[in-house]
Amino acid sequence: MSQTLSNSTSSSPVSALSGPEASGLPVVPEWRRALNKFLGHRGLFIGSVILGFIVLAAIFAPWLAPHDPYVQNISQRMIPPIWHEKGTWEHILGTDKLGRDYLSRLLYGARISLTIGLTAALISGVIGTTLGVLAGYFGGRTDAVISYIITTRLALPVLLVALAMAALVGGSLEMVIILLGLLLWDRFAVVARSTTQQLRDAEFIASAKVLGASTSYILIRELLPNILSALIVVITLEMAHAILLEATLSFLGLGVQPPLPSWGLMVSEGKAYMFFQPWVIAIPGITLMILVLAINLVGDGLRDMNAPEGRN
Amino acid sequence: MLVFIFRRLLVAIGVAITVSIISFMLLHLSGDLATAIAGPESTADQVEEIRVAFGLDKPIIQQYFSWLISAVQLDFGRSYYFQDTVMDLISERLPITLTLGALALGIATFVAIPLGVLAAIKQDTWIDRLALMIAVVGQAMPSFWFALTLIVVFAVNLHWLPAGGNSTWMHFILPAIALGYYAMPAMMRLTRTGMLEVLGSDYIRTARSKGLSETSVVFKHALRNAVIPVVALAAVELGFMLGGSIVIESVFSLKGLGQLAWDAISRNDYPVVQAVVLIIAVFYIALNFVADVINAMLDPRLRVR
Amino acid sequence: MMEKSRSHRFTLRKTLLNSLITCAIASSASAWADKSNDTLVYASDSEPENVSPYHNNLREGVILSHMAWDTLAFRDPSTSEYKPLLAESWEWEDSTHLVFKLRKGVKFHNGDDFSAEDVAFTFNYVVSPESKIVTRKNVDWIDHAEIVDDYTVRLVLVKPFPAALEYLSGPTPIYPAKYFKEVGIEGYSKAPIGTGPYKITKVLTGEGVNLERNDGYFKDSPIPKPAIKKLEFRVIPDPDARLAQLMTGDIDWIWRVPSDQADQMKMMPGLDVKSAETMRIGYLRIDTVSETLKDSPFNNKLVREAVNHAIDRDAFSQDLIRGGSRSVYTPCFPTQFGCDTEAAKKYEYDVDKAKALLAEAGYPDGFETEFYAYRERDLAEAMMGYLSEIGIKANLHFMKYAALRTDQRAGKVPLSFQTWGSYSVNDASAITSVFFKGGIDDSAKDDAVIKLLDTADSSVDPDTRKKAYSQAIKRISEEAYWVPMFSYSSNYAFSDTLQFTPYPDELPRFYESTWK
Repeated sequence: MSQTLSNSTSSSPVSALSGPEASGLPVVPEWRRALNKFLGHRGLFIGSVILGFIVLAAIFAPWLAPHDPYVQNISQRMIPPIWHEKGTWEHILGTDKLGRDYLSRLLYGARISLTIGLTAALISGVIGTTLGVLAGYFGGRTDAVISYIITTRLALPVLLVALAMAALVGGSLEMVIILLGLLLWDRFAVVARSTTQQLRDAEFIASAKVLGASTSYILIRELLPNILSALIVVITLEMAHAILLEATLSFLGLGVQPPLPSWGLMVSEGKAYMFFQPWVIAIPGITLMILVLAINLVGDGLRDMNAPEGRN
Repeated sequence: MLVFIFRRLLVAIGVAITVSIISFMLLHLSGDLATAIAGPESTADQVEEIRVAFGLDKPIIQQYFSWLISAVQLDFGRSYYFQDTVMDLISERLPITLTLGALALGIATFVAIPLGVLAAIKQDTWIDRLALMIAVVGQAMPSFWFALTLIVVFAVNLHWLPAGGNSTWMHFILPAIALGYYAMPAMMRLTRTGMLEVLGSDYIRTARSKGLSETSVVFKHALRNAVIPVVALAAVELGFMLGGSIVIESVFSLKGLGQLAWDAISRNDYPVVQAVVLIIAVFYIALNFVADVINAMLDPRLRVR
Repeated sequence: MMEKSRSHRFTLRKTLLNSLITCAIASSASAWADKSNDTLVYASDSEPENVSPYHNNLREGVILSHMAWDTLAFRDPSTSEYKPLLAESWEWEDSTHLVFKLRKGVKFHNGDDFSAEDVAFTFNYVVSPESKIVTRKNVDWIDHAEIVDDYTVRLVLVKPFPAALEYLSGPTPIYPAKYFKEVGIEGYSKAPIGTGPYKITKVLTGEGVNLERNDGYFKDSPIPKPAIKKLEFRVIPDPDARLAQLMTGDIDWIWRVPSDQADQMKMMPGLDVKSAETMRIGYLRIDTVSETLKDSPFNNKLVREAVNHAIDRDAFSQDLIRGGSRSVYTPCFPTQFGCDTEAAKKYEYDVDKAKALLAEAGYPDGFETEFYAYRERDLAEAMMGYLSEIGIKANLHFMKYAALRTDQRAGKVPLSFQTWGSYSVNDASAITSVFFKGGIDDSAKDDAVIKLLDTADSSVDPDTRKKAYSQAIKRISEEAYWVPMFSYSSNYAFSDTLQFTPYPDELPRFYESTWK
């Protein structure tokens, strides 16, 4: 979907590969300056706080959740949330159509979103970074081949391919993670490639070469730490992307399967009630939005810290 | 320049062929084709007959090339589910998706460019921040959710616009907004950066020093230069929209390519799925090629590489 | 519809041209359809893969079949009496020979005269294996048909089949022999014609079907000449999109509205909501015969019994479906002939008992199974909830019916939530025999049951039939081959400018509808 490019700095994937401006030079900030900057950067601060809250909620879901999110009780169905005149403290956000506690499902849903976002981003990070670093470091024919792979990957409609594959192998949590991990590595590759290109001829690499370090040592111990800060920005963006895609797949019924409380699935299940009990889709939808927003704010903030000259 | 275009064209064709291999594999991963074509009530003999009749007993490479030759002639075979050829189904649906995409892109452009310009002129004011916020929120909102919200508010509660279907142009407005919204943030940011860059350049300073009015400077000189990369981006975004329209079409029950693909996926109708994947990918590759050429015309540095 | 002979290049050019036109004026089709332009737009979720009534088994197809085609006899929905339709009269020569005198002066939609040839052609075609019809049980009691004279046809049965008239007034529409031979099944599926009160003017694959009143419909038909001129059937897969479009006035009629939404819609101005019980029942199908599933825990009778005890049928009928839904224990709908509710074991909802049965079967901690469904995902989820209470973890595969049927026939589906509306045939043979008489979808293939149903289906004596059905039902229920759960009610929601009466056979009769 359009998110793939929305955040990237350059306008077309092909020119992104060739453009010299793809990512700012990584700065290695000393931690104090970083902290000051962090506190001074409102977006990053707000984003981190929200994200922190959601992560804590996800980790402590079993203790925080007032009910078992999977236990249905048909006689207690469709209770409205507390702010509604018919709401009860027993079910603060009400219950769904099978009488399951909505707040508990929401809390457990955070686990699903974060798990998928993080693991999918890590899988794609490994794939993309490997490809990008190899392309950037060796250049020449290696670069040409890998650039070609990246271009091909970008030409595939992610959502459509993900749906078709999900339908073939059947939707499940693991499947969604693997699928997204295998599909979302393009931006890692693009960024890793261009940052590596910039560092390839740097002095510390050259001196490592002179000292007789092996190529793998140079790549992993010398180069990687220096492009990491740029990659962390990409990780946040791809996490957000993966979370949205998972929600979309689940919404279309081919992602995480019930009774797992994925937020996308909750919106899909609540859809029937949207005209008369709009909170059923509003609650998971807004939560999802806040999570992605927080991750994006953190990502944008990190990018600004790396490249303070411009917001874009 | 011509050499550049030629090389890019070669790459584009190469990618298209690779994608065609992938979508061909998609069909073959879906299970035994002969059984699928023969239908559930067929005997083993009938399956074998079909296997021979459709050339499915040949080596896979040979099958791929005969498939590719038909695909180039826009013959994707027959749907497993309907009585129609895949191309019949697609040619009925493609106009709807194209209309939706074009309209969505139009809406995105008409919001993004003025907003981007405004944000650049009023840099670091509340207008700039508001524009940025719209962009950030836009990237965070799940498209299916935004689409549902539009239906609840503008169709069901306010009765301004229809909730779904595709019989009149009115039916396209809400889906186009829902789809266009996602292309908007990137275009807006790019307009803003481009404007800031151009406004700070020497030649604008010269124009100002000549005593030209600010309006004239902004619209006649700066915008023209800042907007070309946005056009290139718009082409790419259109490609994404065609791929992303599947969600919007399903929510608004628009009978476009996306809905066709989704229905086909849930019915295991893989000839249709692979054709849609291939067509959307080819569209995307073509649009990207256009974007590349535009970018290269702008930035001579790119041509050297 | 595109002509087959045209080249694909032309197709492409047309596509591009189309898109330009569409872009420029954004589609030309009709605007709001309603009373003012005498068009009733009705929407449902699935599109028949083939509009030819014998070649699909979707309810949407059954509706179209009754709209555009006629059968030999007509069952009055209020009195259940069989009335002459395309046949003027009929007579049993003996228990396997049925002779029909046909009506004269009836014309197909293309102007061709209807005669004995059409009837004989239709039956001989559908019983032939080449026709590849979907529900063979609907016609497999027919051996062949013979033309006696231009307006007399003799139907030769394979063996005595007392429910013959019920079928001949339901899922057995008459095709035009001449036209069908001309165009073949492929052409027929795109431009089908019949003799019915409406004619199909356009088949939009995957989108819907347009119909127009057949002004030449024969006067003596028990079916009234339609009051509404045009019908548009629209396929809208998403139930909530249907709801939204009804509320905005894009469409005039929807059905299968969940009770929660129906209750809310009753309070909305401009809308009418009616509920009616239907003959459709929801059940869990358990595969005990497929070779691919020979290690399935469900091959153990105790496990199947446990599942029967695990489902709270009353919660489904009283809380989730409502509107006249009832809990069902029989593999048939209680009003159907032969559906003896006394014969079926009443598995009460009892989690402890179910757990004990599972433990006895060797699964004290339950097990994991694949679970398939194609309708009402929320009901499927509730079933999964009940199964999980006794330790059975069900992994849901939600798919379209056609895909499910393919997987099921390939033996990949151990457990599935399915529904069957019996083609509105008020006889147990339309459901119990379809699924338990050894056919392709028989999940038990129990010889004793097959024998009993054979007797029941082919005996002429009602008492013998009843007795045989009872015994079959008893055996099916005791062996717990199925988990019958509930009957459906259907909530119909429509514009209040429309006069519409629902019937329990789940067959909307739009030819009876009028504008208020």
